[in-house]
Amino acid sequence: MKISLNWLKDYVALTASNDEISRAITFLGFEVEGIANTGAPKLDNVVVGEILTREKIPNLKKEISLCTVDVGPAGGVKTIVCGAHNCDPGRRVPVALPGAVLPGDFKITQSKKYGHESQGMLCGPDEIGLPAGHGLLILEGSPALGTPINEVLPAGDTVFDIEITPNRPDALSHLGIARELAAWFKLPLTYPKQKFTGALADGVTPRPDLLKAVRVESPEDCPLYTAHIISGVKIGPSPAWLQARLSAVGLRPINNVVDVGNYVMLETGQPLHAFDARKLGGAEIVVRRAVIGEKLTTLDGKERVLTPQMLVIADAAKPVVIAGIMGGENSGVSADTTDLVLECAYFKRQSVRATSKRLGLASDSSYRYERGVDVHSSLEAAHRAIDLIIATAGGHVTGPVYRVGSDVPWQREIVVTHDYITDKLGFNIPAEEMRAAFEALEFTINREEPTEHPRRGPAWTLGIPSWRDDLDRPIDLVEEVLRLYGTEKIPAAVVSSPGLVTDDDPIVLFNRRVTDYLVGHDFHECVNYTLRPAKEIATWVSATAAQELALANPFVEDQSHLRPTLIGGLLDALKLNQSRGVAVTRLCETGRVFMERHGQNVECAAVAFLLAEPIGVRTWLKTEPSSTEDFYTAKHHVAALAAAAGIDFARQPLTPAAGNGHPAFGWQEGHSAAAGNIDHGWTARFGLLNLAMLKSLGLEGKVYAGIFVILPEKITGENTRRRYADFSLQPAALRDLALVVDAATSSAEVQKTLEKLARAATGTAFALESVSPFDVYTGPGVPEGKKSLAYSLVFRAPDRTLTDDEVNAVFQKVQDEIASTTSWQIRK
Amino acid sequence: MQDQLSALVAQAQTELAALKARPEFEAAKARYVGPNGALTALMKQMGTVPKEERPALGKLINETKTRVQALLDDALVGIESAELQAKLGPAVDATLPPPDLGPGTYHPLTLVREEMCRILRKVGFTVADGPEVETEYYCFDALNTPADHPARDAQDTFYLPEAAKFANISKKNPGEKYLLRTHTSSVQVRTMLKGKPPIRIVSPGRVYRRDTTDATHSANFHQLECLYVDKNVTVRDLKALLDYIFASLLGKDTKTRFRPHYFGYTEPSFEVDLSASHLPKVKKPWIEIGGCGMVDPTVFADVGYDPEVWSGYAFGMGLERLAMLLYGIDDIRYFYQNDLRFLKQFA
Repeated sequence: MKISLNWLKDYVALTASNDEISRAITFLGFEVEGIANTGAPKLDNVVVGEILTREKIPNLKKEISLCTVDVGPAGGVKTIVCGAHNCDPGRRVPVALPGAVLPGDFKITQSKKYGHESQGMLCGPDEIGLPAGHGLLILEGSPALGTPINEVLPAGDTVFDIEITPNRPDALSHLGIARELAAWFKLPLTYPKQKFTGALADGVTPRPDLLKAVRVESPEDCPLYTAHIISGVKIGPSPAWLQARLSAVGLRPINNVVDVGNYVMLETGQPLHAFDARKLGGAEIVVRRAVIGEKLTTLDGKERVLTPQMLVIADAAKPVVIAGIMGGENSGVSADTTDLVLECAYFKRQSVRATSKRLGLASDSSYRYERGVDVHSSLEAAHRAIDLIIATAGGHVTGPVYRVGSDVPWQREIVVTHDYITDKLGFNIPAEEMRAAFEALEFTINREEPTEHPRRGPAWTLGIPSWRDDLDRPIDLVEEVLRLYGTEKIPAAVVSSPGLVTDDDPIVLFNRRVTDYLVGHDFHECVNYTLRPAKEIATWVSATAAQELALANPFVEDQSHLRPTLIGGLLDALKLNQSRGVAVTRLCETGRVFMERHGQNVECAAVAFLLAEPIGVRTWLKTEPSSTEDFYTAKHHVAALAAAAGIDFARQPLTPAAGNGHPAFGWQEGHSAAAGNIDHGWTARFGLLNLAMLKSLGLEGKVYAGIFVILPEKITGENTRRRYADFSLQPAALRDLALVVDAATSSAEVQKTLEKLARAATGTAFALESVSPFDVYTGPGVPEGKKSLAYSLVFRAPDRTLTDDEVNAVFQKVQDEIASTTSWQIRK
Repeated sequence: MQDQLSALVAQAQTELAALKARPEFEAAKARYVGPNGALTALMKQMGTVPKEERPALGKLINETKTRVQALLDDALVGIESAELQAKLGPAVDATLPPPDLGPGTYHPLTLVREEMCRILRKVGFTVADGPEVETEYYCFDALNTPADHPARDAQDTFYLPEAAKFANISKKNPGEKYLLRTHTSSVQVRTMLKGKPPIRIVSPGRVYRRDTTDATHSANFHQLECLYVDKNVTVRDLKALLDYIFASLLGKDTKTRFRPHYFGYTEPSFEVDLSASHLPKVKKPWIEIGGCGMVDPTVFADVGYDPEVWSGYAFGMGLERLAMLLYGIDDIRYFYQNDLRFLKQFA
């Protein structure tokens, strides 16, 4: 909101500098978003001078004159080069003498111009900070030569652009801000004097013909409606002072009556509306809800379709105003208006807000009603407006005066003690200072009593003024006291640091562990948006699951769904780097993803990474491309991420991550796998990303990826303490076994069988320590459709060196069992 | 015999010194000291020597044996050293870079978040977490935000469809809608409802606003909030915390100042400014960094804490904004583009 300093000075005699005032507003709790000066700033060495002579400097393209200028007894006569068209002898103009600094840090010095010594500059209005004009500023009225220019020019104004927090509608007015500043600077506040006090002058004939009735049919939306009739006005432009005030705060002057309405609203915060009495059909006003199908063309020229939720001011036949928001074209004041009806009412904020929102129509009036207008200001504002209308447009108040509804009762007391405020602040402000703050804010001190509190500070019973609906409880007064005391004076203190109450949340610990792991393995941590385009979602989940992830009200099309995976974002990052020619192979991210479980969504913690081929990366050390980044690298990292959540990945069965109707289309069939199931709390996918998808995204090279997803509640903070297991110090006995199996047979299946058979064969005599694959082979010697898997079996006894014979016996038994119970061939 | 021994040593001296590889060495060793070696053959001749000469000869043979063994040892050292040498390539050029793409990096938002959490942990704050999909109750109602508050507009807040169900995000009231949290204050509410005071938490996290993305706005961004609930918590304590945080972050002479403000869930409320002399690219003496205040009694009452007994403060700030100020980054979108030339600058 724009606040004019000159206007404020009507109510409070501010002498502080603009900077001090701006600081005061800031620390009273309102943000100063800008300060603009109108009028000339303070200018030194700029004086009134009279042009004595003017000579055109010959041989120049432009018309440039050499003038002699009398700048008064102190300065004498100067020679000045001037490019203005109107530097005619006899004219008095502002003269900037050497040493002057004009707006824009323009320093005036004596210097040579167009071959002539110039002892200053003759000024146009823009050069001394006034609105631009044509040529020099001609000073009328023969001001004395040599007079400092600031004494001649009308004083400028300063306009503060202030952001008012929603709890302070009382500050949406010049009087409101003046009240705050008066309290801050400890100055008295002067209210405007009122002439009209509500009583009609003697001998005035009431004019019920102009307004015979006011009915409020919706008192719940409009507790108080007042209407005054003013007859015999003459519509015309406002006087200069009124126009200047409105212009200063950014309002366009329209005519005297409309301008007064705006002025009083900006002065008091109470919106008003003036009707042309002639245009009120049936000479009556009805405050009611609109009827279905009713329309009104508002003053902004747009036709508004009204609904029964909306409160309107109507005449006998039709709506004429959308209550508290905007008037209609059908009833406004026009050049030939002579009789006015002045409305000043209290509309409920909820009603105005709902209608304003529904219509998408806001105004200075609705802005104030929505935040809450002082319930007691209606009549006072009406009286103030009547004074100003009569002063600027003539006319007089005729009866009848309508006041429909009751004056909304207002009585609010808060009891607060000095001790309470001190306890909340944590430092002492003297009781007298607190009392002064209350008084400055126009709270009435209804009672002051000593208390039984330890510090025996007073207890105050305070009457809260009607414009401070935001103050309701003792805690609210703590802020009032502190505001006026000054938040900059809060004393420093040492922060208290008691012991920890809890540890960090398990999910936070998990995120830290996995990020540390991945960054430690040369991944670059990324951050991507959670909201993703529908097209991307379709790559990762089924159509029904995608639908569950859609927002009700996306803002832009490509951010319409919650992400079910982190990989989409990481691919974006990969693509961006590739397209910018930035070499990148390893990217990772942690964050929330949203998955479907039993027909409902679940919010999950997730960590994911990409391993991309180093496209366009040239290094001096030649190694086999992609020799180290493959499916098993991805598997290795996913296993480590799962371990960070306490999940032993090695024990988990694996299923394909793609194909077979599996919805995870993003993965390459036959080169990817999945483990876990979100139904049981966690899931992981890893391997090669679908090559066709990568191609369609415009990505080059193969990309391996992995993602681990877990329900937040499944991550536990407790580390289960591991138990030490005894291990043998005896030598191991190794046996190797190669088997020819179907190409589709998984190593895990073979390994499991071998483990089972070897364990059975060793019995309790000694132990099988491990079975691990060491060779996978297809090619000559192995039939088509088969593969050879070779395993190393390690046996060990806890207490002795094993003999060849006993190990051989076991190994033979294993081979016999394989031959008899499986279809696998032992490869000799 | 004596001459033979001398000749043997002399021969060994020339022959063994010239050995280059282990097989030759093993052959030579056999020729001298092996069972069929020259020295062994000489020793076998001992029997043919007269008895009285034997002690002297024996001594001589032993000396020769020791001498030959020493020559063998020397030769072996030379060979082993040559073998090790052969395993090495030419000397490296230590100035060449490692051929990989360099070490991994933490995202600047992670770095700033973790630094803040470390600073706060020193004074007793631990990290709390909560869902990003929230309900109207936890995001607004419990924080004293009235039903007709503009922040709740579908214009400013992302909502999920009314039919949407989130199995692991609890609703307070059956009818309320799911939304994307607009601040991390919802974590405070859930923490207060779940636990008992005293509470001292910091909740960093992702939040969402329905906003145009530009240099300073982003559809999602991150906040960090502190909540302290205890007996006798004062405005002065709150100021002390802010002074401590920013002195820790930027140096002892860093100052903060409070400007009175309005938030629904705190009373009194303040905006916090930071003295900006340590910040790159900031020309003003003070810069706004966050909001704070004393927890409103209404909020306590709503979570079942007696406002007569418990008091507390809350502080919140934007992590992107903090990171931008600390590092001098001028476009919030860089955090979400993940250009490696950006990411690598903060490690």
